[in-house]
Amino acid sequence: MSDRRDLVVVRDLRKYFPITAGILQRHVADVKAVDGIDFEIRAGETLGLVGESGSGKTTAGRVILRLADATGGSVTFDGRELIGLSRSELRPLRKEMQIIFQDPYASLNPRMTVGSIIREPLEIHDIAHGAQAEARVQELLRLVGLQPQHANRYPHEFSGGQRQRVGVARALAVGPKFIVADEPVSALDVSIQAQVINLLQDLQQQFGLTYLFIAHDLSVVRHISNRVAVMYVGKIVEIADRDRLYDNPLHPYTQALLSAIPIPDPDVERRRKRIILSGDIPSPVNPPSGCRFHTRCPVAFERCRVEVPAFTEYEPGHRAACHWVEEHGGKAPDLSAGPAVLT
Amino acid sequence: MALLEVRNLKTTFKTEDGIVAAVNGLSFSIDPGSTLGIVGESGSGKSVTSLSIMRLLASNGRIESGEVLFKGEDLLEKSEAEMRKIRGRDIAMIFQDPMTSLNPVLTVGEQIAEATRLHLGLNKREATAKAIDMLRLVRIPAAEKRLNDYPHQFSGGMRQRVMIAMALSCDPAVLIADEPTTALDVTIQAQIIELMNEMQARLGSAIILITHDLGVVAETCRNVLVMYGGNMVEYGTAMQIFDAPKMPYTMGLLESLPRLDQAGSRLVPIEGQPPNLLRMPPGCAFEPRCRYRMPICKEPVSLYDFGGAHLARCFLYDQRTEGERTLPVESAPILPGTAVAPPQEARP
Repeated sequence: MSDRRDLVVVRDLRKYFPITAGILQRHVADVKAVDGIDFEIRAGETLGLVGESGSGKTTAGRVILRLADATGGSVTFDGRELIGLSRSELRPLRKEMQIIFQDPYASLNPRMTVGSIIREPLEIHDIAHGAQAEARVQELLRLVGLQPQHANRYPHEFSGGQRQRVGVARALAVGPKFIVADEPVSALDVSIQAQVINLLQDLQQQFGLTYLFIAHDLSVVRHISNRVAVMYVGKIVEIADRDRLYDNPLHPYTQALLSAIPIPDPDVERRRKRIILSGDIPSPVNPPSGCRFHTRCPVAFERCRVEVPAFTEYEPGHRAACHWVEEHGGKAPDLSAGPAVLT
Repeated sequence: MALLEVRNLKTTFKTEDGIVAAVNGLSFSIDPGSTLGIVGESGSGKSVTSLSIMRLLASNGRIESGEVLFKGEDLLEKSEAEMRKIRGRDIAMIFQDPMTSLNPVLTVGEQIAEATRLHLGLNKREATAKAIDMLRLVRIPAAEKRLNDYPHQFSGGMRQRVMIAMALSCDPAVLIADEPTTALDVTIQAQIIELMNEMQARLGSAIILITHDLGVVAETCRNVLVMYGGNMVEYGTAMQIFDAPKMPYTMGLLESLPRLDQAGSRLVPIEGQPPNLLRMPPGCAFEPRCRYRMPICKEPVSLYDFGGAHLARCFLYDQRTEGERTLPVESAPILPGTAVAPPQEARP
């Protein structure tokens, strides 16, 4: 995997939403949803982006696709800088990059048939018209596991899992290279989730797609991703190959996040040690100084309060932003023992 | 005697498209101080079960038949005035979304005090003191000050703590928690699960935990009831359900879950779609999606008893299917009293 070229390169990407007040709409503060993130997505891989609410993961996905304008930083796609391109310059690139949304109920127009929902991008991008477009719609429906006759139905006639398949077909219609999947299975029932995950994996194989898979469910992310990045209040705190991140997490937040996920096996659950973080997730309006995790971190010390930790590579491909790890030569703190455990 | 026993509960809803049986013949019981997880997907009837027990159904809902015995008395026979005394005092409930189940125009102190004044007859000062105690118990920092805050001034996790404080303030015998952590982030979910486990150990309430998350069940529940299409399809201890599931639906659920502790081999999904409650098959609700289905599965199916209170509703364990089944399993006896008659004519 590591010999693959980078398809998407994100550098110091920032997205602030201004907060205004008063009749003059005076700019009083910013919601720093994404506050300087760096990563690469290699062609043909799935990068999992995980985080809790307010971490900025969804905003990151939208800014990368230029569905929202960046405040600063750079995103290159296949070697082309996206930040700063005009709408007309972006249009041809939109064929290459698509998005699948979380809520299959809200992301399909209820007044359009499924066929016209899937046909619309074909016509907008001048890919196919008339009978040719019709044939392509039928082919796409089959590809995502629906029946060609479903083209004449409306979204409300489908179950959640089937609607998500329609969303996938729409994204695939224009033949993209890169798909941002924003919580694509979290609104679905457990027995349907696996169907959609398998579909996404099959399509990736078949078409050599590159995914940015945004989710809060670390079990799903472990299953589907080659590499995983963890976000916390607008920053990436750790990134590594999938197994490395899950087996040897360096950052205390990654450790706590992993230990918080219940495993559906009472045997395993009884033997597991759990790190319970105290406190709430801070607001991105007024994020904590220094390391943003220091208010909840069991091993935080003075430096964490004042200095923003550097995003440092400790092993090839394994980067983390933590003063404790840096001062201990790349070693992860042991949070499961002694007074460091907060209950 | 069981603390709470549900017998043959049938709850229907009148909808534009016809009458829907959301719960259809459900029976189970829970002992004092134990934890029962009710798991199921959307439409399986798990939330309607809890609302039926509390008699809090929406106006188009109706309990058609059955009994809900609390300490031997049938709650379905009680007057609305008697139910009001039971709700909150004997049986309390917490909901998925604390923002919509707390009153936004009352302080949290007033809301907790309301319950203890009504049910325990405390005066204003006693009720306020009790509210502070409860907020401390659920570890809300600066409880005396937070008492005067409104729900919107709390974060999601803190609001759920307020809900738990309120629900436990009258020391109920049964706490029904309907998806209590589903709206929360995982690190906050871990805090709330820890708190619920601790509260139960301290106060000894029986807990019915309704959830779609099998991980949360594995972490908290002694017994597990699996629902599908409005009825129980399997019941057992958490060990029995997770280590030796009997019903193909339960097996399928466990196989289809990606697990944090196992890296990615291909998932085995359950094919097909969840059942449409308007068009339920007469036999096993899972039959259309089941990979072990047999012709007999189109008939009504009994509960089979595997010993140790492990039950499953599946023809794979019926002696009549011994030569026919495609999964090598042993037959099991029908649980006495649950044998179902051959299909009847549909009522007009």
